[in-house]
Amino acid sequence: MPIDFSLTDEQKELQKLARRFAREQIAPVAAEYDAREEVPWPIIEKLHGVGLLNAIIPEEYGGLGLGMLEEVIIGEELAWGCMGIYTIPMASDLGITPILLAGSHEQKQRFFKKLTEKPALAAFALSEPGNGSDAAALRTRAVRDGDYYVLNGTKTWISNGGEAEVVVVFATINPEARHKGVIALVVEKGTPGFKANKLHGKMGQRASGTYELVFEDCRVPAANLLGKEGDGFKIAMNTLDKTRIPVAAGSVGLARRALEEATKYAKEREAFGRPIAEFQAIQFKLAEMLMGIETARAYTYYAAWLTDQGLPQAHAAAIAKAYASEMAFEAANQAIQIHGGYGYMHEYPVEKLLRDVKLNQIYEGTNEIQRLIIARHILSG
Amino acid sequence: MKFVAVIRQVPDSESRLKIDAGRVDLSSATLILDQMDEYAVEEVIRLQEKHGGESVIVALGPERFEEAVRTALAMGADRAIHLVQEGYLDPITQAEALAEALRAEAPDVVLTGGQQADWDSQALGPAIAEALGWPVVTWTTALELEDGQARAKHDLDEGAEVVRVSLPAVFTTQQGLNEPRYPTLPGIMKAKKKEIRKIPISAASKVEVLEQSIQERSRLGKVLDGTKDPHAAASELIRLLHEEAKVI
Repeated sequence: MPIDFSLTDEQKELQKLARRFAREQIAPVAAEYDAREEVPWPIIEKLHGVGLLNAIIPEEYGGLGLGMLEEVIIGEELAWGCMGIYTIPMASDLGITPILLAGSHEQKQRFFKKLTEKPALAAFALSEPGNGSDAAALRTRAVRDGDYYVLNGTKTWISNGGEAEVVVVFATINPEARHKGVIALVVEKGTPGFKANKLHGKMGQRASGTYELVFEDCRVPAANLLGKEGDGFKIAMNTLDKTRIPVAAGSVGLARRALEEATKYAKEREAFGRPIAEFQAIQFKLAEMLMGIETARAYTYYAAWLTDQGLPQAHAAAIAKAYASEMAFEAANQAIQIHGGYGYMHEYPVEKLLRDVKLNQIYEGTNEIQRLIIARHILSG
Repeated sequence: MKFVAVIRQVPDSESRLKIDAGRVDLSSATLILDQMDEYAVEEVIRLQEKHGGESVIVALGPERFEEAVRTALAMGADRAIHLVQEGYLDPITQAEALAEALRAEAPDVVLTGGQQADWDSQALGPAIAEALGWPVVTWTTALELEDGQARAKHDLDEGAEVVRVSLPAVFTTQQGLNEPRYPTLPGIMKAKKKEIRKIPISAASKVEVLEQSIQERSRLGKVLDGTKDPHAAASELIRLLHEEAKVI
């Protein structure tokens, strides 16, 4: 039996847990944290309590060793509740992944312990004020000084950057060498010379904390270097090849929410003497949404399956991320359209979906970068 | 000590039920562990945490009940016994079958939901107590064990009372007894390895269900026009709320 679309009992149970958590713990408070632009620490604590936080850490290091398919199942559910809140555990996994991929046993023990014994977050710091997609052009300098690297520079758009216990920072030991000069260093919270400034005024995903990180003569032990000097760029790219699949999963969850809200409203709202759900113009929109959700979910599962099988998946992750985020953007957009004027107001949950999902088209590699990855896959064959 | 929670699987309150050929069709409903039974599961786990011993889940129902049993195990109970029988069994017959299994387990405390969510039956807990010849406390909102006895607070129609009962005894739950925990992810993974002993039974129901129907609730759609005479409309609204809706 070569193809099997069924979930294991365990996967069904964790889906149920995540769905219930999203419905009871996330959805009721999502609008409030969005309005206050505040990180919902009580939810992070509860996520930790039920085991949904940092669960990709292997069992030998105190985690649950979840695979990508499990992560995707959970991601869809949590993002149904709030994409911004889901970004917090998702970005933590993004910070964990480089350590998983390139860390030594000793480093994994040291850093993962901090992320499992209590509610705690990780972060991934690649983007800088002057570069995003062109990751090899980073300017943050690392200079070796005895048993330390001395970091100087600024990172920006770093999710969890100010809350995180550990931040994987990408810096260069030789800017001329471009990607060959990049190193990945784990910087712990509270290291002298490391400061995080929260960025305010985000359009959406306002419950996730986004930071500017400033390093001023910040001395980081050389023992925190992941892999060896020059490995950093590859570590960053291999990390993103994996972690953009959960972005796709989150997009599917958000689109599912858009469809549910739109369906509910279309059945209640009357025009010309009958519920607007009876009009084909509305029905077609709903049908388009479900077509998008089903295909995006199926493909996201496929990309996750490739990852779990250890098969090449960079192109599949890129397709899933770009396709699902664009599908979800359109679903949120149409959910507002179906709601009419009410959809434009904060009282209804659909305008937030659109504000939140915009970021899914930008972070973890813009959708334009995803298309470059896909094109490279086509042309390299 | 040994603590047993008797559980059932019921449709999620958000499920849309439909009637097919005079029977409730559950095929498209999401089925969950009954929320009133969830209090029972939480309570046996708490009792075990406090007093040591063992927490056991007992269920009587069709094969599909296993999912609810797994949920209870994922919350933290130690093991489960599932008496398997497809089809409807009335609560008295259920209680007789359950009593046999419970007698063999010889627990100190048996807890079950005060009311089954779907069919609103409140019979199972008291029927189990009757079949076992044990005391029963219904609608329990607080439970403490001391010196081989239990001190329990339970709801009355318009009040409450605190009672002391000898053990073993049966308690049925009421909202407020506790705040059930989520089945955690590690709990879900461990639950896979926990024992569920399946015992096929073939009890004969004393009651046969002939036909089922679902009450259709429709709105009256009464709208008062307040634009012309708001004072009269307000008075009429108060009269309707008082005399017809009887809410004020």
